[in-house]
Amino acid sequence: MAKYIVKRVGLALITLLIIVFLLFVMVRIMPGNPFPSERMSAEQIANKRIEMGLDKPVLVQFRDYMVKLLQGDFGKGTSLYYGAPIKTVLSTCVQNSFRIGGLAILIGTAVGLLLGITAALNRGRFLDGFCTVFSIVGVCVPSYVFLIFLQYYFSYKIPYFPYFFDANRFLFSSILPALSLSLFTMSTVARFTRNEMVEVMDSDYVRLAESKGIYGPRLIRRHVLRNALIPIVTVLAPLIVDLLTGALVVEKIYGINGIGKLMVDAISGEGVDYNYVLALGILYSALYIGIMLAVDLLYGILDPRIRVAAKGDA
Amino acid sequence: MDEVKLTTTSYVPEPGDFSFLSQQDMNVDRNFASMGYWKGVLIHFFRNKRAVTGLVIVLVITLLAIFGPLVSSYGYKEIVSAVNDAGKKVTAGSIPPQIPGLFGGRNVKPQFADRTFLFGTDTVGRDLWTRTWYGARVSLIIAFVTIIIDMIIGMSYGLISGYFGGMTDNIMQRIVEIANSVPRLVIVSVLAIFMPKGMGLVIVALLLTEWIGMSKIARAEMLKNKEKEYVLASRTLGARSFSIIFGQILPNTIGPIITQVMFSIPTAIFTEAFLSFVGVGIVLPQCSIGSLIEDGFNNITTLPYQILPPIIVLALLMLGFNFVGDGLREALAPKLEDM
Amino acid sequence: MKKMIIFLMVAVMLLGLAACGSSAPADNGAAAPAAQAKTLGVMLGTNVMSLDTDLATDGDSFEVIADCIDGLMQMDADGAAVPAIAEGYEVSEDGCTYTFKLRDAKWSNGDPVTAGDFVFAWRRICQNAGEYAYMFDSSVGCVKNADSIIYDGADPATLGVSAPDDKTLVVELEVPVSFFPSLMYFPTFYPINEKFYTGLEDGTYGTSPETFLSNGAFVLDSYTPGTASLSLKKNPDYWDAGRIQLDGINYQVVGSSDNALTAFRNNTLDVVMISGNQVSAAENDANLSSNLKVTGAGYMWYLSFSQTEKNAQGGMLANANLRLAISNAIDRESLVDNYVMDGSLATYTAVPPQFAASSTTGEDFSADQAKFADYVGYNPEKAAAYFDDAAAELGTDSFTFTMIYGNNEGDEVAKVAQAIKAQVEEALPGVTINLQPMTKAERLDKMQNDNYDIALTRWGPDYADPMTYLGMWITDNSNNYGFWSNAEYDQLIKDCTTGAYISDYDARWAAMYEAETLVMQEAVIAPLYTKANANLISEGVANIEFHPVALNRVYKNTTIG
Repeated sequence: MAKYIVKRVGLALITLLIIVFLLFVMVRIMPGNPFPSERMSAEQIANKRIEMGLDKPVLVQFRDYMVKLLQGDFGKGTSLYYGAPIKTVLSTCVQNSFRIGGLAILIGTAVGLLLGITAALNRGRFLDGFCTVFSIVGVCVPSYVFLIFLQYYFSYKIPYFPYFFDANRFLFSSILPALSLSLFTMSTVARFTRNEMVEVMDSDYVRLAESKGIYGPRLIRRHVLRNALIPIVTVLAPLIVDLLTGALVVEKIYGINGIGKLMVDAISGEGVDYNYVLALGILYSALYIGIMLAVDLLYGILDPRIRVAAKGDA
Repeated sequence: MDEVKLTTTSYVPEPGDFSFLSQQDMNVDRNFASMGYWKGVLIHFFRNKRAVTGLVIVLVITLLAIFGPLVSSYGYKEIVSAVNDAGKKVTAGSIPPQIPGLFGGRNVKPQFADRTFLFGTDTVGRDLWTRTWYGARVSLIIAFVTIIIDMIIGMSYGLISGYFGGMTDNIMQRIVEIANSVPRLVIVSVLAIFMPKGMGLVIVALLLTEWIGMSKIARAEMLKNKEKEYVLASRTLGARSFSIIFGQILPNTIGPIITQVMFSIPTAIFTEAFLSFVGVGIVLPQCSIGSLIEDGFNNITTLPYQILPPIIVLALLMLGFNFVGDGLREALAPKLEDM
Repeated sequence: MKKMIIFLMVAVMLLGLAACGSSAPADNGAAAPAAQAKTLGVMLGTNVMSLDTDLATDGDSFEVIADCIDGLMQMDADGAAVPAIAEGYEVSEDGCTYTFKLRDAKWSNGDPVTAGDFVFAWRRICQNAGEYAYMFDSSVGCVKNADSIIYDGADPATLGVSAPDDKTLVVELEVPVSFFPSLMYFPTFYPINEKFYTGLEDGTYGTSPETFLSNGAFVLDSYTPGTASLSLKKNPDYWDAGRIQLDGINYQVVGSSDNALTAFRNNTLDVVMISGNQVSAAENDANLSSNLKVTGAGYMWYLSFSQTEKNAQGGMLANANLRLAISNAIDRESLVDNYVMDGSLATYTAVPPQFAASSTTGEDFSADQAKFADYVGYNPEKAAAYFDDAAAELGTDSFTFTMIYGNNEGDEVAKVAQAIKAQVEEALPGVTINLQPMTKAERLDKMQNDNYDIALTRWGPDYADPMTYLGMWITDNSNNYGFWSNAEYDQLIKDCTTGAYISDYDARWAAMYEAETLVMQEAVIAPLYTKANANLISEGVANIEFHPVALNRVYKNTTIG
């Protein structure tokens, strides 16, 4: 197993390198200067580009970038939060997004599982129908619409929660955005859990277990849920990455400086900020690759018959 | 045991000899003519009330999307306007739903008091009824494109990757990681240099990433199923990989696959609207359900009626799709309990 | 199952704890900054991009910088330049040398503000040659040698600014610049404490309260780059501290107008800016209508037409009649009344109204919006006539143009673009306008590389002189996106900036009017409207000074209830 993990981490680094290179090239093709230039003359723009090393061959630029990156230097913002080291900005944004996203994952998964299980156990009855409609509406209403709703009623009409995010009262002011972000996860998890459980409950081995006199929570936990978890884990994994890496509109509405807004600002500000796009791209892909590795390992734990690793690696 | 007496006289049956014991207790085995798998699926599907309801919802929305704008007295891009007493042009912007004589009409600019706007008007002064159904057209196209992308690319990719495992899986999964990791806004901005912005580019953008979620699900299902006895049996009997993957395992994994399709549709519809951020997406004054929701969202507390029609249409559409999906799943892989 | 239920219970309890644990501090006022004594809650439209005068480019950053740092001059309530760090100044006979006498002011670390701080900051901006360096060059400030430093990399020490002693700053100009003192309130000309700056790690200046110095009304209380909220508090060591009534300002970035309105209703913020639909809602709300205050935002939206061969069906828009036809097909009153709806002014001049008043007559340069009525205005018949002329000259009466606009430049922009499309297509059958939204960065890129037909664009005045607009349309100016070229116009502008009229104020004023006429006659641009800001200001908050140029909001005289 250890050998497999080492191999996967090695591959992940190579993948990451390819991603960084692709991004590195693409961002340079994107229309727009990497710095504000509305008031600059053509020669000024040309000088600035030389100053930033953009006249050099892309491979040379890439090498220079990687050398800095390996020293932990993401560079500075050029069209976004000019001059400030990206590390400073990123660390706050990552903190905010991770915490709020983490809370959303927690709420979404917990409530989603509960809803899904309840629906499956009450198959064909009212609760099942309610769960179906809830999860469908849940994916049709964007999280930011839900947030506005929450904000309107619980920060404005009943002024209990703060109207804007406040880093000093972190948990309290994270509840509304986390709740709204959890809606999609909640719906997805509920629906997958319900469908999977229903399917597993129909299977022969569950019938066998039932005929052997295993009922109730024990049956659900040991035989049903465990077998239903694989698709749930699979859909949950990318949702975790998405939630951790922030959500543009929710951040904008609730005044959170998070990763989602940072990415869009980096692209759509006065210019296209190469360094920010790259830093965020690296962050996102590292997270995604890591979580996918975790999922592959989890498969083996959930169902010992599954071996993602080749025989020799195990 | 009674001995059977043999009689010499031949028995002549009379009508009175045979009669039903009772109408209630009749228990006759029904014999079906052998029928194809797909015919069975169809029969099964149409016997399912929820599935049929779902199908009706989807059909009604599709019909409204096609004919809604046609029966409306306003064009989707027509800005309703009039000239007021001062000789200035006034548009019918932001009028809540109204039918003269029935409801609405308060606070409305007097020039438009006698007009019917079933869903109201948007901030520019266009009829939202027309635009909602016009937008539904665009979003239905996106929904069907997504289904196709999911079912063809995503499913095959995941099944193949999971089935062969080892190096094949390793490489295929790294490609997924790369495809998924380049931010969509960046990739779309770059693509936009090489192709015109519009619906075509939206579909290309969806093609790039929308299949990934499905491929992950299909791969997981494949990993779960490929070690099972029936697969082993097939393999031992010499079945070819293609027929094992698509003939044997696929029908057994259809449940999560259909669920995943259902969830990727609204995501794709919102993605289209999100892409308009870099100017990719349907071109104004055209609209989609996604862009209507975004427009409505800008004024959600001041003009809440504007966001309601697109969200409700989307929710109904998804409800319909999900009912159809559930029905299909049950029909494709029937379980005893469903019989 | 049991485990899971336990897990769920823990999660729910955590949430409960979070709710209870945090509700206590909610009462001590942190939740409602507006309720705090004399602290103003103010909305920012975008994040503060930088507090470094060399790097800041947006109005919001400039506003926060100006809250914290005083330049040589400051704006009074009417927008006139009055002394700040400078006690006063003398101008030489030829108008080319300004000598500023500095008052005793202190940086927030106790250092005195010296003339050297200005020299350092100015040289640095010219050397870095960023976005706003042009304020020093021969098109605006005309500071001696600025051009060669900015564009040719000459030694920044040659810049025409010197400090004979700590309290005297001498600025040498290439030519007399009539509005030079008013430039001094623009943040680009603010000082930076050299000793403090050089003592910091590279790239950290202005990234936290510890790495930023004030010499102005407020000091930074909390700030990190990228933050959505920042707070300032009163600077007790400000040279004019007696005038400052506020204890502090809490800025909050608000991303949507609708959200801003609710935040205002909720008393979370005292000063917010709202756009069209929310303005209508506020006007119809008896509780809000008295809080509404419309102020000039300064910048003018206009259509730029590319006149080069490679665009617009082979340079069709080089035809003046076609441009005039489009310009006359646009109903600007309808644009501002029905789409922008925030008090913006329909504009019919190349220089927008309300920002540049003559210093001799006091009259606004563009007060008379009817002066070009012959060339610009909503007149479908005239538009059709121009169109017929154009069609005859160009040999076709069918045109398809693409209009680009930025979709992140304001709520109303997409609406205006659609309205213009509808209006032009209605008035001029034969013309089709396809809309193409994009990010602002891409729009600029397309315009700078002359890769567009028509652009919906804007320009905000950087200084209170019509030249901030008129300077754009001379041949080879980087903002002359249409590539229009007119020798007579170039000569007029040259005479006004460096030539015959520089010392004759009224003649210069008249020449600028002549130049503007040339622009309008040929419809080089089609002006649309001058943007206004619709502000909601809490009851009891008074004397926030709003300006269309340089600093949009100034709080030095602001009082609360």
